[in-house]
Amino acid sequence: MISNGRYSLLFNALFTLFMVGPLVVVIGVSFTPTGYLEFPPSGLSLRWFAAILDNPDFIDAAWVSLKLGIASATVSTIVAVPAALAIGREKFSGREALQALFLSPLTVPTVVLGIAFLRLLSVLELNGTFVGLVLCHAIIITPFVLRLVLSSVVGMDRSIEKAAISLGASNWTVFRRITMPLIMPGIVGGWVLAFITSFDELTVTVFIVNPSTTTLPVRLFSHITQTTDPLIASVSTVVILFTVALMLLINRFYGLDRLLMGETK
Amino acid sequence: MSFLEIKALTKRFSETTAVEDFSLTVERGEFVSLLGPSGCGKTTTLQMIAGFEQPTSGSIILHGRNLAKIPARKRGLGIVFQTYALFPHMTVEQNVAFGLEMRGIPEPDRRQKVAAALDLVKLSHLAKRLPKAMSGGQRQRVALARALVIEPELLLLDEPLSNLDAKLREEMQLELRRIQQEAGVTTLLVTHDQSEAMALSDRIAVMQSGRLMQLGTPFDTYETPKSTFISNFLGKTNCLNARLVSTTGTASTLVINGIEVSGPSVNLLPGDVMASLRPERIDIVESSDGHTEAKVLERIFLGDQWLFRLETKLGELLVVRRNRGRREAEPGENVFIVWQPEHLQILPASRESA
Ligand SMILES: Nc1ncnc2c1ncn2[C@@H]1O[C@H](COP(=O)(O)OP(=O)(O)OP(=O)(O)O)[C@@H](O)[C@H]1O
Ligand SMILES: [Mg+2]
Repeated sequence: MISNGRYSLLFNALFTLFMVGPLVVVIGVSFTPTGYLEFPPSGLSLRWFAAILDNPDFIDAAWVSLKLGIASATVSTIVAVPAALAIGREKFSGREALQALFLSPLTVPTVVLGIAFLRLLSVLELNGTFVGLVLCHAIIITPFVLRLVLSSVVGMDRSIEKAAISLGASNWTVFRRITMPLIMPGIVGGWVLAFITSFDELTVTVFIVNPSTTTLPVRLFSHITQTTDPLIASVSTVVILFTVALMLLINRFYGLDRLLMGETK
Repeated sequence: MSFLEIKALTKRFSETTAVEDFSLTVERGEFVSLLGPSGCGKTTTLQMIAGFEQPTSGSIILHGRNLAKIPARKRGLGIVFQTYALFPHMTVEQNVAFGLEMRGIPEPDRRQKVAAALDLVKLSHLAKRLPKAMSGGQRQRVALARALVIEPELLLLDEPLSNLDAKLREEMQLELRRIQQEAGVTTLLVTHDQSEAMALSDRIAVMQSGRLMQLGTPFDTYETPKSTFISNFLGKTNCLNARLVSTTGTASTLVINGIEVSGPSVNLLPGDVMASLRPERIDIVESSDGHTEAKVLERIFLGDQWLFRLETKLGELLVVRRNRGRREAEPGENVFIVWQPEHLQILPASRESA
C-alpha cells in the first residue's frame, strides 16, 4: 500500500511537472524587460504586455478566435446533441456507420483535413471567409461534443422519460424538462471542450485563413516564423490566464470533474 | 363488464414470444399480481398496458375504453418503475407536481394535491429534498406519490420492492397495501416474489413462458395449484412421482415409490401423476402407530420455525415445524411422520410443467 502510494505520488508529481513546467516558463518569459526570450527573467516588466496593445493584429486575431470558438462550438453542439440521442438509444441500420462518420475527423491526419477543407471551401466559394472557418472548425470539434453527450445519454435511465410520458408529458416537454437537464453536463462539457479545441486549432486553420480571418494561433505561429521576441510569451500568458479564468468560472457553477467526466446527475 | 379487460394479448419480438394469448379481467379497486419467474413476460404485459409496447394482437379495455389507439401519455395511468425513475434534478415536491402540471392544474390546487399525496405516503417533511438525498424506501414512496397524485384509473407497479432490503421490503408491503386501499385505486403489480404477491394481492395471476397458468386468490392458488410448477413456485413443496391406482367420489389410492398411500378424490385418469405435499402439512410425531418412519438427515433453525430434511420410504421430504421452544429431533434420529390424506395435492404429471 505504502509503496503504491509513493509511486503514484511520484507519477502525479512528474505529470504535474511536465504539464505545468512549460506554462511556468512561458509566463516567466513574458515578464522579461529584455528584448529577447530569457528564463528566468532578469527583472520584472510589463513591457511586453504593453506591446500587445501596439499590435492590433493580435487583438483582432484574438477576437476572430473567440468568435470562431463560440460559433463553431455552438454549431457542433446543435448537430451533436440530436446525433448523440439517435446513436445512443435508437436501433436503426447504419447507426454504427453514422457514429463512425461523426468521429472520423479524429482519425484523419489534420494536415490531410486542412488540404481537404481548402478544396471544399473553394468549391463552396467560402475560401477565407468566417463562415468557412466556422464550418471547418465545427467539423473538427464535433467528435468531442458527440462523445461527451453520448456518454451522458447512454448513462441515463430511460424509464425516467417513460415516467414523464406516463404523467402526460409530450415528446417536446420530455426533452425540454427531463432529457435536456439530465444530459446537460455532457452538453456543457462538450461545448467547452469544443470551444477550447477550436480556440487552439492551428494545423487545419493555417490552410483556410486569409489575412482578415487570421486566428490567434495562426497569428502567433506566423509571428514566430519571423521574429522571436517575448511578445509571443505575453500573448500566450494572456491566453493561459483567460483559459484558467474560464475553467474557474465553470468550476464555480458546475464542477470541473463532472464536466470532464461527462457524468449524468 | 369488468373495469380492466385484457383479451388474448400477444406480443412477439423477432425471436421470442414474450406474451401469448394472455387474458385477464380486473375489477374496480382490486389488487392483482402478475407472478412468474424471470423472463416470463410480466414486464412486457405491463408495458403493453402502459402503452410503451405495441401488442402484436389482442386488446386492452380499461373502463370501456379500448387503449389500442391511445398513446401512453394520454392513458392516465400511474406507473411505478423498478428503478423508481424519479426526476433527479427535481425536488420531491416538484416530482410529485409534474403530472399535475402536465394536466394544467392551477397552482393552489396543485399545491394542495401534492401535500395530500405526500401526506398519504408520510413524506411531507421531506418535500424539499432531492431524490439523491433519500433512502430507497423513501424514494419508493415518492414514486408512489407521484403516480397516485394524478388519480390514475389504474396503478401499475413493476417489481416496486425488489430494490429494498428484506426488512424494509416487509414494511413497504404493509405500507403499499395501506396506501392502495386508502387511495382505492385498481392496481396491477408485477413481481417474481411469491410472498410479496400473496401478502398484497386480492388475486394472483401466475405466468409461465408468456402464458397465464392460474388465476385465483392467494389462498386458493396456494392450496389448489393446477400444476407442479405453480405448486413449486408458490412456497416450498415436496413433489413425488406417483401412480394413481383408483379414485372414487371421496378418496383415491396412489402408489408412491412402491408404497400405497391414500389421497383426496381427483378428476384425473389412473396412471402417472405428481403428488405434492406441503412441508408444513407434515407432522413429526414420536409414537409409531401406523405412521411412516423417517430419519432426520438435516435440520435448520429459522427462528420462528425449523426446517427438516427427512429420509422416508416415499423419498426425501422437507418438513417445516413451528418453533415451540422445545427440543426437536436431531440429525440421525429416527422419527415418525403423519399427514392428512386430503393435504396431498394430486397433479397431472405433465413434463412441460415440471
Ligand atoms: N425489446 C425486446 N426485444 C426482444 N425480446 C424482448 C424484449 N423485451 C423483452 N424480451 C423478451 O421477452 C421475454 C419476456 O420479457 P419480460 O421483460 O416481459 O420478462 P419479465 O417477466 O418481466 O422478467 P423479469 O422478472 O426478469 O423482469 C424475455 O424472454 C425477454 O428476453
Ligand atoms: Mg421484468
